[in-house]
Amino acid sequence: MAATQTERNGSSTKNASGGSGFSLEMKMLVPVLLLLAVLSLFPFFYIIWMSLNTVSLINGISFDFAGLANWTRMFTDVIVGAAWARAALYFIATVGLEMILGIAIALLVHELVWGKNLVLSLILLPMFMAPVIVGLLGRFLTDSSYGLYAYVLREAGLFDRDILGTGGSALAAVILMDVWEWTPLIVLIVLAGLASVNQYVIEAAKVDGASYLERLRYIVAPSIAGVVIVALLVRSMDAIRYFDIITVTTNGGPGNTTKIIPIRLYETAFRFFDLGYAAAIGLGMLVFSILVANVFVRILASRGLAK
Amino acid sequence: MTTSSSGRATGKYIVLYALLLLVLLWTLVPILWMVLSSFKPGVAQLSPTPVFFFKPTLQHYVALFTGGNLGAYFLHSVLAAGISTIIAVGLGCLAGYGLARSHFRGKQHVAFWIISTRMAPIAAIVLPLFILFRYINLLDSISGLIVAYLTFNLPFAIWIMNAFFTDLPPSLEEAAMVDGASRFQAFYRVALPLVTPGIVTTAILCLVFSWNDYAFAATFAGPNSQTLPIAASQLNTQTGLSWGQLTAIGTIVVLPMMIVGLAVRRYLVKGLTLGAVTGE
Amino acid sequence: MTGAGLAGTSLLGAAGCGGASSSGSSGGGMWRQFAGTTLNFVSENTSPTTAIAANLNPFRELTGINVNVLQLELGALVQKVALDIGSGEGAYQVIYADPYQIMAPYHEALADLNEFNADENLPSIPKGVDDFIPTQLAAAGRFENGENLYALPYDCPTMIWMYRKDLFDKHGDKMSQDLGFDPTPSPSLTWEQYFQIANWFNENQDEVPYGTGHQARQYDSLMCDFSNILWSYGGDYFHSKKVGSLGAADPGPSTLDEPEALEAAEFYKKLISIAHPGSVSWDWNATDEAFRTGQIAMAPNWHEFTAVDQDPAESAIVGKIGYSPLPKGPVRNANMWGGTGVGINGASPINEQKAAWLFLVWATSPNTMLMGMKSDVGGGTPTRGSLYELPEVKKAMEPPSDMPNLLTYDAVSEAWKPENIGLRPKIQSWNECDTALYTEVSKMLAGLKSPEEAMTTAKQYFDDAQTRVENLASKPSGVA
Repeated sequence: MAATQTERNGSSTKNASGGSGFSLEMKMLVPVLLLLAVLSLFPFFYIIWMSLNTVSLINGISFDFAGLANWTRMFTDVIVGAAWARAALYFIATVGLEMILGIAIALLVHELVWGKNLVLSLILLPMFMAPVIVGLLGRFLTDSSYGLYAYVLREAGLFDRDILGTGGSALAAVILMDVWEWTPLIVLIVLAGLASVNQYVIEAAKVDGASYLERLRYIVAPSIAGVVIVALLVRSMDAIRYFDIITVTTNGGPGNTTKIIPIRLYETAFRFFDLGYAAAIGLGMLVFSILVANVFVRILASRGLAK
Repeated sequence: MTTSSSGRATGKYIVLYALLLLVLLWTLVPILWMVLSSFKPGVAQLSPTPVFFFKPTLQHYVALFTGGNLGAYFLHSVLAAGISTIIAVGLGCLAGYGLARSHFRGKQHVAFWIISTRMAPIAAIVLPLFILFRYINLLDSISGLIVAYLTFNLPFAIWIMNAFFTDLPPSLEEAAMVDGASRFQAFYRVALPLVTPGIVTTAILCLVFSWNDYAFAATFAGPNSQTLPIAASQLNTQTGLSWGQLTAIGTIVVLPMMIVGLAVRRYLVKGLTLGAVTGE
Repeated sequence: MTGAGLAGTSLLGAAGCGGASSSGSSGGGMWRQFAGTTLNFVSENTSPTTAIAANLNPFRELTGINVNVLQLELGALVQKVALDIGSGEGAYQVIYADPYQIMAPYHEALADLNEFNADENLPSIPKGVDDFIPTQLAAAGRFENGENLYALPYDCPTMIWMYRKDLFDKHGDKMSQDLGFDPTPSPSLTWEQYFQIANWFNENQDEVPYGTGHQARQYDSLMCDFSNILWSYGGDYFHSKKVGSLGAADPGPSTLDEPEALEAAEFYKKLISIAHPGSVSWDWNATDEAFRTGQIAMAPNWHEFTAVDQDPAESAIVGKIGYSPLPKGPVRNANMWGGTGVGINGASPINEQKAAWLFLVWATSPNTMLMGMKSDVGGGTPTRGSLYELPEVKKAMEPPSDMPNLLTYDAVSEAWKPENIGLRPKIQSWNECDTALYTEVSKMLAGLKSPEEAMTTAKQYFDDAQTRVENLASKPSGVA
């Protein structure tokens, strides 16, 4: 690690910025970045403009400058505030569970000798189902009339009210559906990291008599820390935006207990057609994502894995 | 000594397998139930007590492929997701390498900007993207979907490949260049093969994100470019949600992935190995 | 042109001859003037559209026009139409114009159909506009005034009282004794009596787990179910009576906080408390699933579910179902109507609009509606009065029937009368109001708010939303 660090620092003094014209690296980078810019900057500035206007779609798109009206409304909107609070809870619960379970499962799979490939292929399956389908499947399993899981819970005497119709259980159910679908993502990434842990060091530690937990704590954990942060970042980016599962199961209910901010955003834009206000909400979500990502990237950077 | 340590080892393995069994149950029960249900006749699916023995029927699959035009949807999904992934990974490797190997002020910020483009909430950017697509005539086309998927696959691919290339010490490429290879050859022959795990991971994830997309397809696709997730949501009709057809679609969606996964499973884990080269 | 295709052959009989009638609804030339065009019909994924989509050949042969039918979930449909209209794309010439979510906010973007109907070079509506059931024509086709016509009535699902006739037959006498009134479902029974019947079922038999089930999910369905009771108690969303049928740009303040509305809300809470517990997560589909698999004895639900309820492959209760209009409240009977019309996208090129008109006329013609009723894959009940007079249709109103939806005719024809029909507000801010209403009622059912709090909060949201939309409309800068 240290060696590579000096090497990088070394080469950065060699090639000062803009030093030798268009090097190959720049030729590989810049065109792609231009493409990305077209695809992302135009919408970005458009949304900012939209958030400062009242937008209407009748007879073509029209803008009516409203200054900061949408923004002040957003900061005083109780429904939006509640949706943010729920989103925060949902975010922490899903990402938290997915990280913990994902790392644990990756560790388990990593120890496998026989059947590792088969088990891994099976474990990754939920990721490949669209959230829409996962949500509908979830509904099929938790319906109080014919759902398999509802039946099991009822017969076991654990829970006999309607799962998606009761405030607390509805939220728990959608969280678990999300965890079911996306834990494999974490498993995949962390497993890649685990595979790179230096085997010689592990063997040496075993010879020295280190227990599994000790090896985990002192050797494995520091090695995969960077990868774990990557997994965290990848999942977090989507956890704040995705809402298909909730739309298709509870649609924000019952009593708004599962109405998280992306649902409110979609409603505002495409049910109420209040696009200017929706743009403001959307930008708020973007700012939040950037702040969260920033935190993670800084942690990555401090470990010398800055990208 | 040996007996007790192998006893400990066996005990460890029993625990390991037991835990993994739990994990597999958690993962597979919904899928197995879904596949099973897709062959049940309508009334059996809605039975209050779970039905395990029934007269299997293919009616739902038939309905999907004849009335539902599912074959076309499947093809659209495969094309849009597949081609978008290939382009994203390809461009991602180029740009990721370029970014990793170049040094200029503000590189950190550029890297962050790249990944931040993927964070925009979909409902907000749909309208401007729709207008953009309309001007360049990409609505209701597979190409339009490919470009739409690029908006999230490309930044992702660049960022991950950048991470993998940065972890790769330049010494190997420099050695190759000393031996007479051009910079591009160093990239192509030396660096690229060494980041195979990155390529595999990126490809799988890009594929997953595009294959699963509903929001963009619902917005940009038209009669000629509908994808599988749209087909699934269409089952939610005004007069009934056909669980039979839904479980059948779910099975159809998962099956190819299962087959592909099983086919490449040998390469999956090998591909994910970052290798002993980095020697971290 | 009389008897337009009632014999079941092509719409116009003599498709080959030109100008056979001066009223302009036959004559091959008029129908074929747009041959070669392709139309895009964007619709909710409803039965009538499924039936039409499976049977487009007659139209293609008649006109040479190809029609692509895109069926989407209502939310996705609304989004697609909004984007299409907003961007001026006009890619979807024929639009399933949901009166509340599309027609009310976007009526200015839809073409006025009167122009096409009066155009001598285009076919006019067979049997004229008056063949459509009057309440439905106003609700589905017009906004704010009785002249402009934005859509032709296309389907007409209506909420009625569905019940297990076999259970009522079996227990009727005992129920009569215990309850003190004849429990046979009819519109002269009250909601309070409905409640008592449901309770009786809960406690006195075990063939079905619960007496009643409702579509009380935090969704449109809750608004539909609740509205029946709201209206029957004399409450309403707004004072203006025309808000439901023609719609209004300025409906005035909401009346959800008035005593009748509160009374209705309290009753509704009471009713749901004894209903099947799944009700709070059911939409109309799930409610019908419960009904036809024997989980509940009765439910208020859309009459179009009859077809699937009478299908032996999907239902365990074939032949055991009875139908009646919904019970009445202290003030009136109210049966929620959920129909829609099809309209033409004003942003499409004028030639495509005219081609779309041909499709509209065909899709709502007596013949096509008849075909829809008989279709294996879907179909609803017609929106044209004359069709209900046909002998074969009358025959299908009794079991065994090859057009099962007609078994409900007695119930729905009562329900469509102006004094019984339940029409929700057609206002431009309806989506937001709808969301506010079903959210607040859902909170009430979940025990998070009292009926009074829920109704008062809902009223505030209604007024806020409508004020915002009206302010927008009054701005001069080219905004609707």
